[in-house]
Amino acid sequence: MSGKKNNSRQNKIQLFLQRNSVPMMFILICAVCIPLSGFSAGHLANEIVTRMGRNTFLILSLLIPIMAGMGLNFGMTLGAMAGEIALIFVADLQIWGIPGIILAMIISIPISMLLGWMCGVLLNRARGREMITSYIISYFVGGLYLLVVLYMMGSVIPIKHATIKLPRGYGIRNTVSLLNMRQYLDDLLAIRVGGVKVPVLTFLVIGLLCLFIVWFRRTKLGQDMRAVGQDMGVARDAGIQVDRTRILSIIMSTVFAGFGMIIYLQNMGNMPTYTAHTQIGMFCIAALLVGGASVERATIGNAFLGVTLFHLMFIVAPAAGARITGDSMIGEYFRVFVSYGVITLALVMYEMKKRMEKGQAGQELALAQREEESGK
Amino acid sequence: MKSKRRIFFCAGAVILLLVIAAVMMVIGRGHTLYFDNVTLEYEGTVYEAPYKAKITVNGEKAANLGVKDRGMATWIGQNFEMLITLTEEKGGAEQTYAVNLTLPYGMDNIIVNIPAVMAGLPQEAWCTEFIPAVPEEPEEEVPGGEDDLTITDDFDI
Amino acid sequence: MDKTERSPLQKSGLQAALRDFGLPRLIIAGFLLALFIMAPLVGADLVTQITNTINRFSWNAVLVLAMVPMVHSGCGLNFGLPLGVISGLLGATISLELGFTGMMSFVMAIVIATPFAVILGAGYGVLLNKIKGGEMMVATYVGFSSVSFMCMMWLLLPYSNPTMVWGLAGKGLRTTISLEGYYDKALANVLTIKIGNLSIPTGTLLFFALLAFLMWAFLHTKTGTAMTAVGSNPAFAKASGIDIDRTRMLSVIMSTWLAAVGILVYEQGFGFIQLYMAPFTMALPAVSALLIGGASVNKASITNVIIGTFLFQGILTMTPTVMNAMIHTDMSDVVRVIASQGMILYALTRKTEGSK
Repeated sequence: MSGKKNNSRQNKIQLFLQRNSVPMMFILICAVCIPLSGFSAGHLANEIVTRMGRNTFLILSLLIPIMAGMGLNFGMTLGAMAGEIALIFVADLQIWGIPGIILAMIISIPISMLLGWMCGVLLNRARGREMITSYIISYFVGGLYLLVVLYMMGSVIPIKHATIKLPRGYGIRNTVSLLNMRQYLDDLLAIRVGGVKVPVLTFLVIGLLCLFIVWFRRTKLGQDMRAVGQDMGVARDAGIQVDRTRILSIIMSTVFAGFGMIIYLQNMGNMPTYTAHTQIGMFCIAALLVGGASVERATIGNAFLGVTLFHLMFIVAPAAGARITGDSMIGEYFRVFVSYGVITLALVMYEMKKRMEKGQAGQELALAQREEESGK
Repeated sequence: MKSKRRIFFCAGAVILLLVIAAVMMVIGRGHTLYFDNVTLEYEGTVYEAPYKAKITVNGEKAANLGVKDRGMATWIGQNFEMLITLTEEKGGAEQTYAVNLTLPYGMDNIIVNIPAVMAGLPQEAWCTEFIPAVPEEPEEEVPGGEDDLTITDDFDI
Repeated sequence: MDKTERSPLQKSGLQAALRDFGLPRLIIAGFLLALFIMAPLVGADLVTQITNTINRFSWNAVLVLAMVPMVHSGCGLNFGLPLGVISGLLGATISLELGFTGMMSFVMAIVIATPFAVILGAGYGVLLNKIKGGEMMVATYVGFSSVSFMCMMWLLLPYSNPTMVWGLAGKGLRTTISLEGYYDKALANVLTIKIGNLSIPTGTLLFFALLAFLMWAFLHTKTGTAMTAVGSNPAFAKASGIDIDRTRMLSVIMSTWLAAVGILVYEQGFGFIQLYMAPFTMALPAVSALLIGGASVNKASITNVIIGTFLFQGILTMTPTVMNAMIHTDMSDVVRVIASQGMILYALTRKTEGSK
């Protein structure tokens, strides 16, 4: 009896270690790098809080597709592009400040929904390889984005202001200034805690999304999504419209990613029109995984832990690398390597687990059959 | 029955968002204001520029203008409020006025003539549009698609 | 009107043929044809265009060929191509470091790259055997991780050849290394045919033909057919006593080695070694070229490679000039991205091919 209890406790510890091996590795990396980097605690705290406000919303947008069993949504880039297009329009309409941010969010909704719907439909045609497909979709839509922003804006889509247009008369400049909404969201209600600026309103918005996710899990649709994520066949037998549920999860993720991108860019204060979205998916996914999430299981806690650890590493790695090797590029490459490495590790672990479960199920089936036969 | 309700809700949500968007477009319209402290002739009357005009917008000092000076401020919305502290003559007493102006929606950059505003003249008198010269940059390199995967030095996220 | 009168058999035959060829492929082929027709009309020099297309074909064909073994063994499209490219780059840089020049440096680069390709390929193969069914996504990120890992290595490894390292620091490899005096045009200058403006890099084409023939021959050996069997019907393959894991691993090693050779061939044509982030972008063009040539996620032939590379490189070379002459804008980027990614997307989402 006690042995069994002991055993289960051991299992629990093992499970805990398994689930949290990546965050612990990161804590170790950070623990080594922080003293080497020579940054003060205040500087680090300030940076982390800023980056948390900037990125957490984007990372949270990844949670819903994971819930629906569609893996890491590399197609969140689509939402980011929708957000950018909305911001271009708002910059051209000269709507500033908080109203500008809200208007951009509203404009981004239909674009995100359209792109998300497209992505969802395509992913339904590519069951079992959703991730690679969503990854390719992000590139494909990147091409469409280029077509719209670089060639159609100013020629087909009216853009008034010459300050955001390329000198040739159509196409958007390489950077669009968002100076007139820069950190408006962050600064309203901001408080200072011991020299650290805390963007309270931004955190409130993020908190709102967290509440929404918690509430959403309990709704009928949320329950359906979880059922679909666990077993599509069973869910279909239970009368759930699997395809529709999956498309909805992608649409929601895309819309939130669009909002997240707007929050991200209002903090940055200017928008690199053609490069802002290219890396964002990778960084958000890496951050979520660093927080201990896996391809099939991610919580709000993972998102917060991830954003903290990942960005801590991001800040300290170049300085630490420069200190060790005398070359700051080493640290830059190191953090890129770690980002990709973490994603690779998570993907490998997920696929191995999936295969093991399949194998186990097969063995159990074989065992049952054998027993049945011997019973005869 | 259920689908009818759903359509009703969706339509409601869309209308609500449209209304919010419309409101945002009105209250969020940003303007850049340029204050000109220059003598103006309007309908045959000459309005002299005061010796000194201090302009305060949103509790912050925006400009301190002598004659023929120009100051700048930004404002969100159409109901512009400012405090003007005037000194008519050199060494004269300061006097502060609160001024409300209604800005034209379609104008990004507005030149506001201080003497005209102080004289309470209509909008067409104090307001002119300022069209800034667009900086002519050399043709920017047009970015590519997948080649942008390369990670730039600006790795700040 | 005669559509309705057509017998159902005929109709389905036509439809099947169309479905087999694929609408996107048709559009891309038609687009290229239109470009070739338009080129003389808008005043572009067709001969130069054809020379460019053939040249670029010769640079890239081997990289596309590297996809074939893995597709055959059912490992899917090799998005992990950068891993092979890395082996090739290691071979190239070490060959230069050891002081080989001219044609010899090319041969030595291949020789030195081989053990790297075999070792990395074997490791990669073991990994892919552990995650059957999810190869493509993992492959993509294995490629990315290895490229970013090598970024650090290029800086840290003790290279000292002055043409390769940064002049000022005396260490750390440059981002691009000129191959002048080494194997620049090593193959292209062999037996070059020149007719007026048209020049054909016969040597490179022959080298590709050799590799393609070897691949074709291999696929017809016992091991080769076993590989195809593993890809098309794993259950059957297992039943007939084929070691699936070993066969898959062999295909991965072959893919990796061909990618290593492929990048060397590319470099001899291009004239430069590109290091650091350059290999990142190598996989997707090769994948889409193969798919444009008529391959699918689990079926690819040498013909697919040839047609695909030609179509893809043709579009790449023709679009900028023709588009520029026609509408005075260079929309080639957009066309390239949409055509190549659209093709991959189409291949991934075809329901008939079923996921495995």
